[in-house]
This record gives sequence, C-alpha cells and structure tokens, in this order.
Amino acid sequence: MSSNEKDAPEIELKSKISKTELKRQKVLLIIAALYVIYGIVFYYLPLAGWVMAFENFSIGKGIFKSEKAGLRWFKYLFKKNSSFPRVIRNTLAMGSLNLISQTVTAIGFAILLNEVRNTFGKKLVQTISYLPHFLSWIVVTSIVREAFATNGMVNELLVNLHILKTPISYFMHTQYFWPIVAISNVWKETGWNAIIYLATITAIDPALYEAAAIDGAGRWQKIKNITLPGLRSTIIILLIMNIGNVINAGFEIQYLLGTGVLSPVSTTIDIYVLNHGMKNFSLGTAAGIFKTFVSMIFVFTFNFIARKTGEDHLF
Amino acid sequence: MKSKKIFALVMACVLGVSAIGCSKKDDNGESKTTDAATEGSTEAVDGSSEDVDTSSVDASDIKDWTFYACMSGKEINDGNEIQEEIAKLTGVRVKETWMAGQEPAEAIGAMIVTNDLPDFIDGGDASDQLVEAGVLVAWDDYIEKYPNLKEMYTDKEWELFRKDDGHIYWANVFGNTYGESQARGHNDEAFWIQNRVLAWDNYPTIETLDEYFDLLKRYSEANPKNEDGVDVIPYTALCEGWRYFCVENAPQFLDGYPNDGSVIVQLEGVDKPTIVDYNTTPTAKMYFKKLNEVYNAGLMDQEFATMSYDDYIAKLATGAVLGMCDQWWDFAYTVNDKFKASGYDELGYNYVPLGLVAEKGTKNHWHTYGDTLNSASGICVTTKCDDPDKAFEFLSRCLDQEILDLRFWGIKDVDYLVDDNGMYYRTQEMRDKWADENYKANHICAYSYFPQYSGTSKTSKNAMKPEDQESEFFDGLAKPLQDCFRAYDYDSYDDFLKSEHDEMGFWYPMYSYSNLMSTMTEGGAAWTEMGECKHEWLPKVITAKDFDSAWADYMKAYEACNPQAFLDEMQEELDRRVALANS
Repeated sequence: MSSNEKDAPEIELKSKISKTELKRQKVLLIIAALYVIYGIVFYYLPLAGWVMAFENFSIGKGIFKSEKAGLRWFKYLFKKNSSFPRVIRNTLAMGSLNLISQTVTAIGFAILLNEVRNTFGKKLVQTISYLPHFLSWIVVTSIVREAFATNGMVNELLVNLHILKTPISYFMHTQYFWPIVAISNVWKETGWNAIIYLATITAIDPALYEAAAIDGAGRWQKIKNITLPGLRSTIIILLIMNIGNVINAGFEIQYLLGTGVLSPVSTTIDIYVLNHGMKNFSLGTAAGIFKTFVSMIFVFTFNFIARKTGEDHLF
Repeated sequence: MKSKKIFALVMACVLGVSAIGCSKKDDNGESKTTDAATEGSTEAVDGSSEDVDTSSVDASDIKDWTFYACMSGKEINDGNEIQEEIAKLTGVRVKETWMAGQEPAEAIGAMIVTNDLPDFIDGGDASDQLVEAGVLVAWDDYIEKYPNLKEMYTDKEWELFRKDDGHIYWANVFGNTYGESQARGHNDEAFWIQNRVLAWDNYPTIETLDEYFDLLKRYSEANPKNEDGVDVIPYTALCEGWRYFCVENAPQFLDGYPNDGSVIVQLEGVDKPTIVDYNTTPTAKMYFKKLNEVYNAGLMDQEFATMSYDDYIAKLATGAVLGMCDQWWDFAYTVNDKFKASGYDELGYNYVPLGLVAEKGTKNHWHTYGDTLNSASGICVTTKCDDPDKAFEFLSRCLDQEILDLRFWGIKDVDYLVDDNGMYYRTQEMRDKWADENYKANHICAYSYFPQYSGTSKTSKNAMKPEDQESEFFDGLAKPLQDCFRAYDYDSYDDFLKSEHDEMGFWYPMYSYSNLMSTMTEGGAAWTEMGECKHEWLPKVITAKDFDSAWADYMKAYEACNPQAFLDEMQEELDRRVALANS
C-alpha cells in the first residue's frame, strides 16, 4: 500500500505496453474487465438515480417522467428552522466519538493482549472479546437499555459505590446519549477491531525486541519505542479509510435507543432521511448526495494531510 | 479490440435485462397483464363457481395466497382448523403476516422496490405508495360483479375511496354495521381506569381530569401495592412512535370534539366547517399542565417517556397501571387476555372507559355512534395475485354469513351452541378456550383485515360478533366488571362515556387525509416537523420542573414548524369533502 510500492510497477507498465504484451495478458485482462464491469454496473450506473434529487420523484411516473424540481430538496434541507444542520452535528459528533474511542481502545487492547504470555489465556480473551461483534444491534440495545435503566446495573453499581445519591434516568437526559452510544460501540467492536492491530504487531521483527531487551528496555519502553512505531502505518491507513465512515455514525443503535426526548441528539442523517423521505424519495436522495460529498471531503482532506506530513497515504 | 467487443456484449445484455425489467413493470401498472391472467383462468373459476355454495372445494384446487398488514398482529399456525374449513368452502387459503418493528412506509417502500408483494395487502398509512407504484388491482369492475362487495358502502361512500386516477383500489373493512347496531364495546379512545378503583370509591361519577387524577391519587395512597406485591403505577402514557396519540390527542376530546385525529373541525360560531389546531388551545395547555403536576407529584410512571410499546403492554399486563389514555384496540386484545389467563380479571383489574371533559357539562364525542369510514386504507388485491377475479370472489365470500360466523363465532357445537330460538351462546368453558393463546393459533381464524361487518347477522337475530351478543356480553364479563356495570346500571361500555348520539359529518375523520401526507407538499413537511417537535417536547413539558417556561419554549419550537401550512392543506381537503357531500 505504501507509495513507493505503488509507483514502481506503474513505471514498468508504461514502458512495456505493447500489442504482444496485451495478447500475452489476455486472460488476465478479461478477468480484470469483469471487475470493471461489475464496478460500473453496481457502483456507477446507480448514480444515475441521483437525478431523483432534482425532481419531484413519483414511483408511478419513474425517473424520466417525474416533474423537475431543481434544487428544491437541497433548499429544503437547509431552509430556515430546519433540523437538518442539527442532524449533521449529531452524525459527525457520534461518528467522531466512535472513531476515536474505537481506535484508541482497539490499539490499547491489542497491545495489552500482545503482552499476555499465557497462550491459552490470550486466545480465550481474544475469542470472547470479539464475539459481541456478531450480535445484532437489537440484542445489544436491549442489553444497553437494561444496563442503563433507572434500576439497572450501572445505576445500582454507582449508587452502591456512593458515587451517586439517587439513580439517574440516563435516557431522559440528552447529555448521556452520545457517551452511551460510544460505550456501546466500544463494547461491541473493540475485540474485532483489535484483530488487525494484533496481526500487525505479530509481523514486527522479534529481533528488535531482543535488541531492545539487551539494551535494558523494559516492557513500557518496548511498547513505546517498538510496538507503537510498528503500528504507525496501519493506524494511519485505517484512519483514512474509517474517516469516510464518520458520517455513517449509525442508524440502528440511535433508532433503537432514541426516544422523543432524545431526538435532538439522537437523530442521525439516516434517521432524518427515514422520517422525512420515506414517502418522498427525492428528499432522501438529496440527503444521500450531501452525505456522499461530506464523506469524500473528509477522505481527501485527511489523505492530503497525511501526504503533506510525509505519512503513508491511500492515493 | 476483442475485449472491447466482449465488454459491449456484456453491456448489451445488462441493458437488455434492465429493459425487460422496466417493461414488465409498465405492464403491471396498466393492469393489462392482469386481464390476460383473468381470461386465462376463468374456465377453472367458472367451473367451480356455479356450485360453490353447496359443495366444498377439492383440496388440490385450493389457492394458497398471502396477505400482509401494516399492523402488528399474531400469526396463526399452518393447518389452523377454521382456516381449513374456510378454504374448503371458498377454495382460498390466506397466509397472513404482520408488520413487526417497522413503520408502514418502510415496509411498503421495501416491498415495492424489491417487487416482493403479497396477494392481498393492507398498506395502512402507506397505501398511497401502492397506488403510485401501480401494483394494485382496481376494484371498479368487481364491485359491480359481486353484490356482497357493492353492498359494503353506498355509492357516495365508495366515491371517497376513489383515487385521483379514477379508480378504487381498496375498501376499509372496519366500522361497518350491518342491520341494527349491536355494539356494546367502546372500540375508541378514552381515559381508562381499572374497575377496582371505581369500586373502592363506591362507583363515583368522574367527569373531569381533576376528579380522575384525584381518584387515582387517593386510591394509590390507600393501596400502594397490588395483591401480588407489585407497586401500583397510578397513571402512564405511551409516547413511542405513531402510538404517541396516547399522550398527544386528548385535548380534542376534552373540548368535546370527535376523533378527527390531527385537527378539530369546528362547526359552531363559524360560517363553514373550519379546521382548528388542538395543540395550542387553552385546553391543551391545561391538560399538559395537569400531567406535569401529576408527574411531579410522583403519580405518573417515571419512565413513561422512554418505554417502548412492548414495555407498555408488559406493564399493563402486570395489572399495576391504574389508568391511562389510549385507544381500546391498542391494548385490550393483549391485556384483557393476559388478565383472564392470570386471573387478574377476578381482582377487578379490567379497564373501563371514562369520557372526561375539560369543563363540567361539555358534551363529549369520545364514543362515535354510527360508522366511521376511514378511506385512507383498506384491503387491496395486488398485481402479484395470479387470479384477481378469484381474489375478489373470495373477498365477497368473506361477507357470506356462513363465513362470517366461522370467522367470528367459530364452529357450531364446538365454539358455540344454538338455543331453541336460534340464538347463539357459549359456555364458560368455550369462552375460556376462545381466549386461549394456543387455541387461537390452532383453531381460530378471523381474517381480521378482510371484509366484515359488525351489527346483526344477515340471516338471524344474532350479533355478527360474539362480544356484541347481549347474553354473551354480560356473561362474558368477569364478576367485578359485572358488579361495576350493575352499580352504574349500564349495559354497554359506551354508557360509561355518556357521549352525544350525533351522526358524524361526511368529512369525518380528517385523519384519513393527514395520515397520507408526505414531505412532498409544504403542509406535509410542516406535519412531519410538527410530529417531531411534539415527540420531543411533550415529554419535556410533562417532566419539566417549571411548566410555564417549558410550555413557552415548546410553543416557540412548535410555531417554527409552520403549522399554518398544514392547517391550510387540511382546510382545503375539508372544503373538498364538504363539496362532495353536497354534490
């Protein structure tokens, strides 16, 4: 993935392209073409549906016959008193919280797990910790609801530890919602996300650790000076890839945990589209286009920063 | 070059396939294909339709069709006994599935996009999407062909179902009385109260919110725990999703208006029927202030704002909740059966309705006498159905008395007995069985979203539905309920409400229009935002420490949603309906 590797074959290709070469690679080209066609049909052709955002789309009339509406639906999103800006804020806030908390916990967890000497214990913990990834949100939200209920486990613990005097009704107050979403995500995904970091750590040359040990480095110093720098490129690449997903802060957890009172902080773009756009496909499409552009801006910006600062980057 | 050719070939295939896909859809839209399908299979239908009343249908000829309702419901088991019986008589067996954890627009939208439709469908609030997508078979010809169907509504009423394209695509099956009304239930909204609370206070007359909450307060102080040690919850209010009408729409009733659902239609003191917003009336403020008071006094369920519908029903089923505001159908089916199963009905936990008003002496319309025609949704036949004629024949057969009896009374001598005067009755054992979950799944098949009547049987003096039969009604009540009815000298549930016996205007109910709105229009967008605003603010207002400032903030947020645009569109529709009635 690094830039050096990518640049090298490009130069070679340019110099060697010729009819005979193409003939020789016929089979490969056909296979590649299939993927290109797949991409065009399933990723690019559907983009034609974006036309809907500029019409008053009706299922009966179809894309071609529906009445043109210009920028009506984009204006709708950003009209006076619209809740859409607030919805964007919620989405970005929860998305960033998720991204940061998940990245930090996953790296921390991977490093801690790597330090475990007992192989059986290590495997056991790893297996148990990634299992929640396979639970559906409907199950996880039921657990979260129970745990954070007024008579739930969290309240009981805090009251018995005398941290709280009376139980808090977490789902009645808006300030607890984002942390609850972040905690739930961490609980569900940490083990799973740690796998890729663990794999990277395994690939670090053991000789480095041996050399450091001979120089008298302790565990902490080994983590700081060998493991973390070894993880660096993986972290950057994963960050670039995930940053585009910040705007996909989630739908299920907010939809399932959200109530009327929490709606000012729990409504994400997806939920907004569901509420406003279910009988109005044009509005849904307009919001979707907006979402795509925000994602693209994020990815390009972060990639640009990474390149400028001399880090590994995607493109 | 070659690879280019291959590419072109593949692209051509792709285009071809999508073109076929498109053209197919167009055909469906114009229902041409359905006509062809009808012609192709009429022979088979004609062959059996002549003697359809006398002989039963061969097992191999039975059509297995599907039905989807945008409503929650309980699926019945395959091989259900009455379903089989009906299949033998009509040649149609319908597998019913119900919506779970979705909104109608989601469910219908997904079905249209994937073209995965059932043969019959009730699209609820999303019915218009089905029309737009052109996946419904028009009723027009079949209404003329099958007298049973035509008989359901008057010509003027049928007009209400007609869509802009000039066709009728569904008929609502509810609130339709045949012959004399036998209704003894209150199938509408009310403030409900457990009858033991009334008994405890020697059956008082409760007319206002103050009296209602005062009684709940006194009772709960005297009896803080139930017989089984559960803390009582004097009052709760459901706020989830579309069911938040439980907390939201009481102001219209408190002012004495009927359930137009989204607005009040004012008649007095104006020159034409006029739309009024019930969210901003002094009564609305008074009602929410009262709830706020009750909440801060600890009389209201502290978790009302966060509970889901399932939580709510589970809470009611424990018998702990003394009172709430709700539609009968929203809780009674599940909760009453649970009470029966756990013996709570004998402890006086069953709910009776109260017709509360804002000011003593206001005439109320909690109970609407006469039929309510909701033209917004109903039973539809889709273009997926391979034999629409047979489908409409089935809908028509559903209204034969023989089939109606099977659906609602059950099988003679098994589920009911007939006395010397030809009146149907049940033994207690039969009643208990009828309420049993297993029996419901294996034996009972009401086809509850298919054409039906309440009222009186076409062929005898019996009520269409057992719960309306005079003897059945009273004998079927638990002992404490019977005492309650006797104490007040009432003989049906609507007596509790003391509602006016008015005929509703032809426009009634206005919710049949607002339910179909979408953000496509300015009024619809305002309606969506008003809904969001109320979902957010009503619980806040109720739980606020300082009611007045919370109310002021709420009103500010509410005005920002531009409710006038919504009210204007409603007024337009009201005018249209009034004109239609006078035409």
